[in-house]
Amino acid sequence: MKKNDMIETVKGFFNIELRVNGEKKELAVKNGEFLLDALRRHGWKGTKKGCDTGDCGSCTVLLNGKPVLGCLVPAVTAHGGELTTIEGLGSVRDPHPLQEAFVEAGAVQCGFCIPGMILSSKHLLDSNKNPTEAEIRKALDGNLCRCTGYVKQVEAVKDAAKRLRTKGK
Amino acid sequence: MPEIIVKPATLKELWKTLPGLSRNRRYLAGGTDIVTADNAGVERSECWIDISDLPELGGIKETASSIFIGSCVKISAIEKSAAARRWCPALLAAIPHFASPSLRNMATLGGNAANGSPCADGVTALVAEGAFVHLALKGKRRRLPLKDLFLGPKRTALKKDEIIAAFEIPKRKHLGAYLKIGPRAYFGISKAAVAVSVELSGGAVKLACIALGSVAPVPLYAVKTSAWLAGKKLSPEVIRDAAALVKAEVSPITDARSAADYRREMCGVLLERALDSFQS
Repeated sequence: MKKNDMIETVKGFFNIELRVNGEKKELAVKNGEFLLDALRRHGWKGTKKGCDTGDCGSCTVLLNGKPVLGCLVPAVTAHGGELTTIEGLGSVRDPHPLQEAFVEAGAVQCGFCIPGMILSSKHLLDSNKNPTEAEIRKALDGNLCRCTGYVKQVEAVKDAAKRLRTKGK
Repeated sequence: MPEIIVKPATLKELWKTLPGLSRNRRYLAGGTDIVTADNAGVERSECWIDISDLPELGGIKETASSIFIGSCVKISAIEKSAAARRWCPALLAAIPHFASPSLRNMATLGGNAANGSPCADGVTALVAEGAFVHLALKGKRRRLPLKDLFLGPKRTALKKDEIIAAFEIPKRKHLGAYLKIGPRAYFGISKAAVAVSVELSGGAVKLACIALGSVAPVPLYAVKTSAWLAGKKLSPEVIRDAAALVKAEVSPITDARSAADYRREMCGVLLERALDSFQS
């Protein structure tokens, strides 16, 4: 399917095809709808709606492996893409090492910024197995937290990197 | 967001699609400026033309004399390019100051330029790199010095439907710096920014290009200060004089982000720091 041949199904709704957390999906998205709102409407509520102006990073998702802000991506332009939301990382029963590390470090207070933070961290750890504190801080530059002050999140990412390295052995 | 977003597969298809679209149309690249302006109700269009995946606007190419950065290459991809790292030191120095990591995965230099903002970090650095911009409109192509693209705040020399195809940066051995003062160290819009590229020969400046952001109606090429530096050794006195000169060349305003006097003063401070960094 070419990227520009979307068909209007019901008035004002378009079907887009994309992979969400590894599964092929066909989503009906509204005219003028952003990826963030479309995801939440379809049940992926781990993606949070914060500022809605591209500043806070709480709507961060991985589109084709890279962190982007769902509040600024027109949903139809994600057609054909590969998307990872926080639901794709792990579950309560089977958490991702990043999720374990965030919980154990006490990096989560209200939790609103955490999905975005974890996805930005995942992108960092995908290409850098042993990041320095400066590299972690740089990767989390666009994820604002109003509760904790960042120290524990940086510790959590360091710890998660260690867990992933040990797991990889 | 407009009800209609079209996504042509090639430039040729784009030109064919245009006549059927509303006159009130805009190109959509990374969307980071255009979407926020639309959401805020500042700028409304009836149609967006998504050009972000057009093959003709992607990729970083190297020829014997220049680097070509496609207008829709993501900022984060430029950071990873070996050619850009080698030949565009001022641009590379600007990238950490360009919004946030996730926005750098979305934003493009083409959008940064077409938006026409005087505070654009990417294009201010490119002006200091002595870049040219390649424009396309149907069959016609033209090439301008990038500094001539900007006419005023949010005003560019782009004609109706004209597209930014690529930026050309001449290959030359030079040093580069980008220094910015914003509301915090990173992820903020600048109060003042200075981009400098310098070719040195035996301790003396062969060629200097100074560009400034957020201190004039356009990303400003500091003609006088750049010319004055040519042939001079970078001594503490010369650096001080250059800083005094550049302060007379800018025309900042007081607005929500900063005060005119402070901005003018910071242009001197930032230029001094940039030139100092080349001495060692």
